Amino acid sequence: MTGVGAAPAFDAERIRAILAPFAAGSERLCVRVEDARGDVVATSGDMPRSASPSLSRELRVDGALVGRVVATGPAIDERLMPAAIEALAVSLEQLADADRRAAMSDRDAVSRASSAIAAELALGRVQQRTIVSLIAPDVGGYDLASHYEPAREIGGDFFELFRLRRRGHPLGIVIADVAGKGIGAALLMAFARPVIHTALSAASGPADALERVNRILVGELHTTLFITALAGRLDVRTGLLRLANAGHEPPLLVPGDGGAIRPVEGGGPLLGAFPELGVGDVEVQLEPGDRLVLYTDGVTDARNPAGERFGKKRLLDALEGARGATAHDLVATVRDGVEAFCGTTDPADDVTIVAVGRQGAA
Amino acid sequence: MAMLTRVERIEAAVPVTVMALDGELDASNYLQLVDDVRQLYADGTRNLLLDLSDLSFIASSGLVALFSVVKVMNGEEPPDPEYGWGAFREVSRGVETGAVQRNVQLCGAPPSVAEVLQRTGLDRLFVSHPDRESALASY
Repeated sequence: MTGVGAAPAFDAERIRAILAPFAAGSERLCVRVEDARGDVVATSGDMPRSASPSLSRELRVDGALVGRVVATGPAIDERLMPAAIEALAVSLEQLADADRRAAMSDRDAVSRASSAIAAELALGRVQQRTIVSLIAPDVGGYDLASHYEPAREIGGDFFELFRLRRRGHPLGIVIADVAGKGIGAALLMAFARPVIHTALSAASGPADALERVNRILVGELHTTLFITALAGRLDVRTGLLRLANAGHEPPLLVPGDGGAIRPVEGGGPLLGAFPELGVGDVEVQLEPGDRLVLYTDGVTDARNPAGERFGKKRLLDALEGARGATAHDLVATVRDGVEAFCGTTDPADDVTIVAVGRQGAA
Repeated sequence: MAMLTRVERIEAAVPVTVMALDGELDASNYLQLVDDVRQLYADGTRNLLLDLSDLSFIASSGLVALFSVVKVMNGEEPPDPEYGWGAFREVSRGVETGAVQRNVQLCGAPPSVAEVLQRTGLDRLFVSHPDRESALASY
């Protein structure tokens, strides 16, 4: 037990659980957490040799140093690791803060534990919203919209719309879902997102990007992720969209000329499970008036009080009923449809909807 | 919604344990499924046929369970599914070398379930049969 003003003690067991996704016995990356005295509280594995690059971040609660998180190993990628370590550090600070508050306010062990967990989950949800919900860029000639509602128990959905650092500044489109729930899934999400972002800028195309990400997840980092992901690169001048799909729900194309709504098929297995994906790019020409709708299974799997699922049919009907609407209104229609359907039932999974619309008459 | 599982032991060309899943396989019950298979393995089951005819829904956690089931049936203790993804990849390395899992087979997957398995690429881990009869005849 620590005295007043001293560093709050970390719960080593809980931290080990948080570090577990970084483990899997990798000598290429080790993440460790130290307390304020520099003693190691928990580590994801054996420390690599001292010559390895490392990255560390202090942990502070209300300005007071409570510890440090350190990542070491040849697998550290300067572009990618800072975001992952930041996400990890914020979570650890929240844990320390919740523990400290609980310890100060209540000596009763049971309520201490429950208030810590409640604080952790509440903060985690806020944090996750911040990580996931970036503002979409302004892209002339297109309208972009999204809706993201995390489940009560933190899940692993994420999406991103961003301009790529390439000639013509194509629009990068990503939607993904980490299998599983809880803070582990949220951390994996926080880790995978910048990896996919960077890969999409660097790779020759979306399929190459997903192949690279899969290689990092499976072979390089030994971080063990199991993710469905859809990545796209849109040439905003021509409307030509190249898409690659790793086990995710196929996106839906809503043609502006009144043609049938159709899924964009084609893809490979999910990320993190197999050594090779073997996916290829699929090309979709977005004509003026066309909308592309991307979503996660939280939409179709949403349940009403009678136990029925929202399903693809209702999704297609909702989109059909909103023909000609802007991307924003299309997303709102689906969101409202799902919420009305679920009624008082709490969403069991994250719900994410993204729409990309090319403006103009068909 | 609770899932019902029915287990039968059938004397085909080899002894086969048929486990029929009825209901929805999701985050609420996937660990139970792995536990059940662990028990079957401990009791001597070496050929497991999962009958999915009445499985109306499979969530991503259900996919995790199928991976774990393969692991158990290979005589290896699956890791905590929350954290032990590394072990799942050992299973998939078997796929890389062309070793489809013969000791766990699937039958009767309804279109909605088959679609999820196919979309996520997990179908390549399993021999799948249209129904129980053809599955049992194949042993």
